[in-house]
Amino acid sequence: MSNVCREQDLDALLAGELSLADAERVRAHAETCAACNHALAWLKLERGWMAQRARRMPARPALNFEALEARLAAANAPARPAPVSGVAASRRPERATPRRRSDWSHRAMMALGAVGAVAFIVFSVTQVRPVHSSEELWSQEVLASGLLQACVDPSGEAVAALEDRFSACLIASPAVPTY
Amino acid sequence: MFAAQDDAPEAPEGERPLLRRARTGDPVAFRHLFERHSPAVWRFLKDSFRDEAAADEATQETFVRAHGRLATLRDEDRLASWLLGIARLVFLEARRSRGVHLDVDGEESEGLVEAVLPTPTPEDLLLDRETEALLTQALGHLTEARRSALLLRIDHGLPYEEIAQVMGWSLPKVKNEIHRARLQLRERLAAHVGGRS
Repeated sequence: MSNVCREQDLDALLAGELSLADAERVRAHAETCAACNHALAWLKLERGWMAQRARRMPARPALNFEALEARLAAANAPARPAPVSGVAASRRPERATPRRRSDWSHRAMMALGAVGAVAFIVFSVTQVRPVHSSEELWSQEVLASGLLQACVDPSGEAVAALEDRFSACLIASPAVPTY
Repeated sequence: MFAAQDDAPEAPEGERPLLRRARTGDPVAFRHLFERHSPAVWRFLKDSFRDEAAADEATQETFVRAHGRLATLRDEDRLASWLLGIARLVFLEARRSRGVHLDVDGEESEGLVEAVLPTPTPEDLLLDRETEALLTQALGHLTEARRSALLLRIDHGLPYEEIAQVMGWSLPKVKNEIHRARLQLRERLAAHVGGRS
């Protein structure tokens, strides 16, 4: 099949999409061109098969218009809550009336007040007894246990004893004499 | 080479009046349109899903959507491709929601040699049960998109431009995909056709 032989043209010929002049030209060419003749035979075969396949359409429920009508009616119906039964129905909340809404707002105000009171108490407690991190507690322990002693008696023994206790060089202050 | 758009075959007789009546809410007109187009829509969806029950559901969904959007159809001559376009969207949504990849890798037989294919004879036009099964099998080996494009052309008779709209492809891609689909289909069916000729 050369460049002048385009399968799309043959396809368009069979589909009746060509003008009379184009159809005549393509048909005349296909009669003398083996490749086009061959391609045309296949195209006719495909079309023939498809036509026969379409005629063998099975009866399907989806092709019943009454089934579609039922769906359209359901789609066009105003939105209503789905019917429920038994226990589920008894648990389903009813629509709020103005009276019920008033009750609920009163309860919500009370709950909000309770939450505020609890928050106030918690805040007060944390202010009185601030929480320290483990690092702050550690440094306080150091000051309480040995640093004061080192300042009062900054002798080598006191500092060495303190460092030995914590396994580190803890006294780096310039106020402490170095040895 | 192609004729102008004016030369394209017109919509079947009575289609436009039916469509206009259906747009005004005439249920009888819509019923006629449904009865006229639903077999083709179902067949297209069945070929897409390869599942008759899924095609049933999707066909109904397609027409429910079409009923609600009739006013948006601009070109009354393109009702068939418009419906098939909705059907394809319904199919793609269903496939996405199921998380199923239905495609078969269709690239395995790109190296086709047309010369080895036999020329079918008129007897080959007979689509017996065996040939139909082989045809269905051969179509199933195409990728879903390629199969849809091919069937929109050879089964539903859509022009390439309308196939491009339905598939959301460029016109060259449509032509290329359909050409490749045809070659693959012929390669798979050649042995059967050759054996009979």
